[in-house]
Amino acid sequence: MTHFKLTSILEGRRSQPHQLIEVLQDVQEHCGYIPEEAMRTISKELGVPLTEVYSVASFYKAFSLKPRGKNVITVCTGTACHVRGAKMVLNQAIGQLNVAPGEMTEDGLFSVEHVNCLGACALGPVVTENGSCHHHMNPGKLRKLIGTLGSRPTEEGSYEKNQYHQ
Amino acid sequence: MIQRVAIKIDGMIIRAPKGTSVLDAALDYGICIPHLCRVPYLSDIGACRLCIVEHVVNGRSKITTSCTLLVKEDMVILSNTEEVRKLRRNIAELIVAEAPNSRAIQDVALRCGVKEVRYPFRNSDCILCGRCVSVCTGRFGVKAIGFVGRGNERRVETPFNMRSELCRDCGACIDVCPMAVVPCGGPMKTGEERLCGNCEPKMAFAEQTPGFCVWCDLGEGFQCERYAMGLRK
Repeated sequence: MTHFKLTSILEGRRSQPHQLIEVLQDVQEHCGYIPEEAMRTISKELGVPLTEVYSVASFYKAFSLKPRGKNVITVCTGTACHVRGAKMVLNQAIGQLNVAPGEMTEDGLFSVEHVNCLGACALGPVVTENGSCHHHMNPGKLRKLIGTLGSRPTEEGSYEKNQYHQ
Repeated sequence: MIQRVAIKIDGMIIRAPKGTSVLDAALDYGICIPHLCRVPYLSDIGACRLCIVEHVVNGRSKITTSCTLLVKEDMVILSNTEEVRKLRRNIAELIVAEAPNSRAIQDVALRCGVKEVRYPFRNSDCILCGRCVSVCTGRFGVKAIGFVGRGNERRVETPFNMRSELCRDCGACIDVCPMAVVPCGGPMKTGEERLCGNCEPKMAFAEQTPGFCVWCDLGEGFQCERYAMGLRK
């Protein structure tokens, strides 16, 4: 993360400890994760002890402390999705990308995560890809989805994600 | 002038200074409510849940931790009912199963009446009572250590697992840690954990006068407030 961007995020929020979560959310949105350097700077600028920044960042699932790939594939493994075969969908993602859940692929294109419920149990198994939701997934559909995402030029990645929205 | 309110604990009317917690008031008057996560003179976080009492409001009773419950006029507290004893025994049982390797925890389990442990022993190093965190933030105001993570991944840690620049090596976190009190027979190895129970004869006196502080010598182990205040040498 460029220092300039962090400065603009912190603009008007310096020395305001209650702005901690908002600042962390902006950093998360901009870099996809929260780097250690950013946490040290935030701690200094907001006047919050580093321990507290670290506790908050590690507490919420919305914040990631490790770098995440360009495409984040989240498989729901809640009860309803589980009985409809979410395990096979997750295994497909893990096997095809050769990566453990919560990790990023070596080329930085994908990371695979699993959550306990997305709240769309009637549509299960559910997979979200960069925030857009895919219903009634099976290993075959996921393989095609990963294929299209992988062959997509990375520059326009974030602009075209709505095209897959169902 | 200190304003005082009258509250009723186990039928006894006591006058406690306004703004103190029920646990403080009870300990002042020698009513023993077992407690573990409390560090004297610091704010309470209610982590260990051992100090639960029954709070009766309009004829209905609610079970809550006494360390986070502030005294109010005409409050009715029951600290030693069958229900409270049962819940407290279960909580102490879970704590001692998590970390049996400490005299302080063995003592507090004995005080709460644990006779057998129905859960598998885990022999971990931390019960997340938060005493170290509250002494670091509260008494010294440095916040070198804190809770990290959530749920079953919650732990006490320094940021990024590195020594914090704020730490002054005062060692207070180790002084208040219940795990720093070694069991009488030396540390237990994995697979050999047991409920110690050697001090059980001391509890006979406490059973005759339930709920009252009997200077049971257990306080030294789990740092009961009455020992911290130096009321008895």
